[in-house]
Amino acid sequence: MSTEAAFRKNERRAALKLLPIPVLRRPYVILFVTLATGLCALPSFVSAYAVTLAVEVMIAGVFASGINLLTGYTGLVSLGQAMFLGLGGYGIAIGTALLGWPLWVSAPVTLVVVATIAAAIGAICTRTRGVEFLLITLAFSQMFYGAAIKLRWTNGSDGMTGIPRPDLSLLGVSADSPATFYYYVLAVSALALLLLWRIVSSPFGSILVGIRESESRMMSMGYAVASYKIGSFALAAVICAVAGILQSQYTYFVSPDSMSWQMSGEGVLMVIIGGANVILGPFVGAAIFVVVKQALTLITDEYNLFFGIFFMLVVAFFRGGVLGTVNSLIGKRR
Amino acid sequence: MSALEIRNLRKAFGGLQVISDLDMKIPSGQRHAVIGPNGAGKTTLFNIITGWQPPTSGEILIQGIPVQQGRPDLVTRGGLSRSFQKNMLLESLTVLENLRVACQAFHPSRHSVFRSCRSFSDVVRKARDAAEQMHLDHVLHRNVNELSYGQKRQLEVAIALCPEPKILLMDEPAAGTSPDERANLIKLINGLSPELTILLVEHDMDVVFAICDVISVLSYGKVLATGTKAEIRSNPQVIEAYLGQHHA
Repeated sequence: MSTEAAFRKNERRAALKLLPIPVLRRPYVILFVTLATGLCALPSFVSAYAVTLAVEVMIAGVFASGINLLTGYTGLVSLGQAMFLGLGGYGIAIGTALLGWPLWVSAPVTLVVVATIAAAIGAICTRTRGVEFLLITLAFSQMFYGAAIKLRWTNGSDGMTGIPRPDLSLLGVSADSPATFYYYVLAVSALALLLLWRIVSSPFGSILVGIRESESRMMSMGYAVASYKIGSFALAAVICAVAGILQSQYTYFVSPDSMSWQMSGEGVLMVIIGGANVILGPFVGAAIFVVVKQALTLITDEYNLFFGIFFMLVVAFFRGGVLGTVNSLIGKRR
Repeated sequence: MSALEIRNLRKAFGGLQVISDLDMKIPSGQRHAVIGPNGAGKTTLFNIITGWQPPTSGEILIQGIPVQQGRPDLVTRGGLSRSFQKNMLLESLTVLENLRVACQAFHPSRHSVFRSCRSFSDVVRKARDAAEQMHLDHVLHRNVNELSYGQKRQLEVAIALCPEPKILLMDEPAAGTSPDERANLIKLINGLSPELTILLVEHDMDVVFAICDVISVLSYGKVLATGTKAEIRSNPQVIEAYLGQHHA
């Protein structure tokens, strides 16, 4: 090894030493490593049904994370985020099944189109607040839902089929296998989560939190809050659209139901259950939501009644959601 | 050129004339108080100056540039900052986070979407300096909702100072504070740069006399009198309308 190479190696080692893991964060790091290992190994030790359930949880988690950026971090409660879930699904269906584009072209084009549509809708919706914002987002969502039902070229209420999964033949595997698709969804979810984490810990993220806390104060600090709210709306929409793409690949199908207001409502429920304003909250909420719903479906046809009771209990005893409560308990202990 | 100039300002809410034909010129570096009984139009005047409410007619110039109504953010960018009568803080954040958000408003980092807030060390340093200036450095990592009322008032002023304004409007900064907190706040405000123009609305005359050089008395939306402390103290109209014999 040359002297220069040895010097660079030592320099890299020294730089790594400058990045210690703070003592207080060690439990989180251990938890993260355990969780990551567990998720990677999951298909090896659980049934195919459990793998399918995990895929559903991750897709719902990505969708709820998009809602969390808008609701939890920016303080804008929307009942229309399912329109972007649906637009993601329809975008990929139109690109691949209707226009014959490859997936790697259709997916980014879909996300750019969704971001553009969301920015335009956001410019209108973010002029309102509170209940008005909730209702105007619901109105836009219902508009797209209605269009999806009426349009012939999207097969109306029958929806569109033939949505391909990614071609992973280069890796010697097929995404049609549940385990491979699980890893694909896990990778995309991890990327979405990483992206969200970077956003919320950035100055842009802190401005969104400031807007949630006091929009007037942020304006008097010198922030043009309208453009930040539109930015948050568009980013949240893109994340929801990613979930929509995954959902349509999972079922090879997209229908107007993916844009229904019930779907938006379920997303908001996941955020509330898991904990708004906490980065992993929506995933925890999605896990609880999907598993409890599945379990109740097996027991009774009236699962909505029991899920309603369950939701009320969570709201009553876990203010701030499950992770929000855990965080505040840890905070009190310290 | 005046730091702040108000020309023939009028404001009416329906049939109620809150401010009528108000003219005011505040030179750079002056500490100017606006006093008057409740309902005299002081807070409305502040809201119009800072772009929160449009005037019915008239003009406001900040360093010679007209205020763009409906855009308080642009008023702040024009060099005028304000603290509020009722605390308007980012309650669930810490003192440092509040100040960091305030400091980054004029920093290119405000457009950053993927880099961590902490990586902009100059913004963090500026936020720490602002805390130190207002004696909040010992509560930097405390959540705002854990602060005393006096500390919250100090933070209000600290946030208003973060954009490094040329003109600072303070709406009753000492309201609701204890005598000790008030004395501390006076000391802190008097310690600010002499180049900073201050426009203060305050009911506590001890605070007004301790901070300001020039006082304007507002009554029913009109300037009753403008003058130095001594002139205002001895003005019979002001004594009758507002001060009473105690402060004369």
